[in-house]
Amino acid sequence: MFKRLLQFLIIYTAALAALWAAKYGAGLSDYLVPSPGEVLDIAKQKSVIYLAALLNTTGIATTGHAAALLLAVAVGLAASRGNVLGSLVRMAAFNLQAYPVVAVAPIIFLFLGDGMASRILIAALICYFPLLLNFIGIFSQPVPEVEHFFSNTGRTTWKLEIGIRCFENMDKLITVTAGSCTLAMVGAIVAEFLAATHGIGYIIRKALYQSSLAKILVCLFLIGLASSLYLSGVELLGKKLKQRLEGL
Amino acid sequence: MEIQGRNIGFTYDGESSPVFSGLDFTIRGPGFVSLFGLSGSGKSTLARIIGSELEASEGTVRITGASRILYSHNNERLPGWCSLENHLASVTPNGRARLLKRLSVEFGVENLLHGRFAGLSMGQKNRVNMLRYLVQDFDILIADEVLANVDEPTRNHILRIIKSTFPDRTFIYISHNAPEVAKFSRTVLVLGSAGNRSEITEISGLDLISDDSGARESLRKTALRLLELASVHDSAAMTPGRRQPSV
Repeated sequence: MFKRLLQFLIIYTAALAALWAAKYGAGLSDYLVPSPGEVLDIAKQKSVIYLAALLNTTGIATTGHAAALLLAVAVGLAASRGNVLGSLVRMAAFNLQAYPVVAVAPIIFLFLGDGMASRILIAALICYFPLLLNFIGIFSQPVPEVEHFFSNTGRTTWKLEIGIRCFENMDKLITVTAGSCTLAMVGAIVAEFLAATHGIGYIIRKALYQSSLAKILVCLFLIGLASSLYLSGVELLGKKLKQRLEGL
Repeated sequence: MEIQGRNIGFTYDGESSPVFSGLDFTIRGPGFVSLFGLSGSGKSTLARIIGSELEASEGTVRITGASRILYSHNNERLPGWCSLENHLASVTPNGRARLLKRLSVEFGVENLLHGRFAGLSMGQKNRVNMLRYLVQDFDILIADEVLANVDEPTRNHILRIIKSTFPDRTFIYISHNAPEVAKFSRTVLVLGSAGNRSEITEISGLDLISDDSGARESLRKTALRLLELASVHDSAAMTPGRRQPSV
């Protein structure tokens, strides 16, 4: 878990160092690039408000992520069937995923308003298609070395096939699920940035209008922390689940 | 039980040259029949055609007096989410628990069954896989290099146990070990090619169950004959571009 946090802290620190090196090297004004002191002041003044906004965003992201996971599993299972419905679902999934969700976001805001539902839906949609395409691949791909015995002895059932394929692709499932955490965070923040009235994305939008890079830098730090923790948490859960299934 | 193959040919999708063509053979059971030949001669492909895992590109296979044919190979794995004993219990038909127990002792895996498949050595994996097939309902069991990773003394012991426990069943055994094939098989079908022509040559094995020191000379001669036949026949089978059968 600390590995992800450390990775983020290294990248964030390096980016800040580069920014301040550019500022002092090129003599950029405090208006364009704030000084380290100003960033620290903003962090002290706004940390409670920003943390609340971050928790709000993380809640939206996890809800959207969970919804996307459930939907991707259900649709992935339907698409893995060799029947007409399965073919239709696969075709629809491959065609729909090519369309950028962000472009559809205004329609969602028009119909659902700028509240929680829109943010959850956009977060879910942004991480849904990568999950779905991977799940369809995993659920549809036979594992002949394991499945052969069951088909040979007439014991194959659809449930068994899916169980074998999930177990044999456990690492891939965990990686895809953990990777989609970041997408869910992105979805929630994009939704907030576009039209919502809550969350860290909304704070960033306000900071943009105020041309306050210091506020944006503090928000980015908090977003990085939350994303790293979220990603690490899902990876840890996946690892524990895998160990349990493998009897380790 | 009789398996009759007439004019059997097979070409893998996308390949221009067939693995074999025009093969005629007859396998009569019960008993231990082996398919022998060099790598790439088409043993596994032919076995999979007999086991209905593949459809012959040409010719027909007719099986009479047997309806339950199982095909097993040495790359098979057991599910990893449960212990071996749980898996074996779930796939062992009613009334075969004692047979399973006895064979697990004979195969030397009884103390491993509380563990998982991933924790076994290659040879142990082969033995456990073979074990679960043997407790199924079958008339013909095609065993495609199923004991390839098992040490020779254990393999010999297992083959003796199989032969003595299932005298009324037909086993089609595939192995690259000429002395082993010569020793345990009643009949050996040697696959190969002579020029552009695929051939199967049938020779008699020693069909032994127990060690017979008096049969050493016969064994040596039969094994040498097998190698000779496979080598002569297969000189054309190793031409570049010819697809190696894989399972």
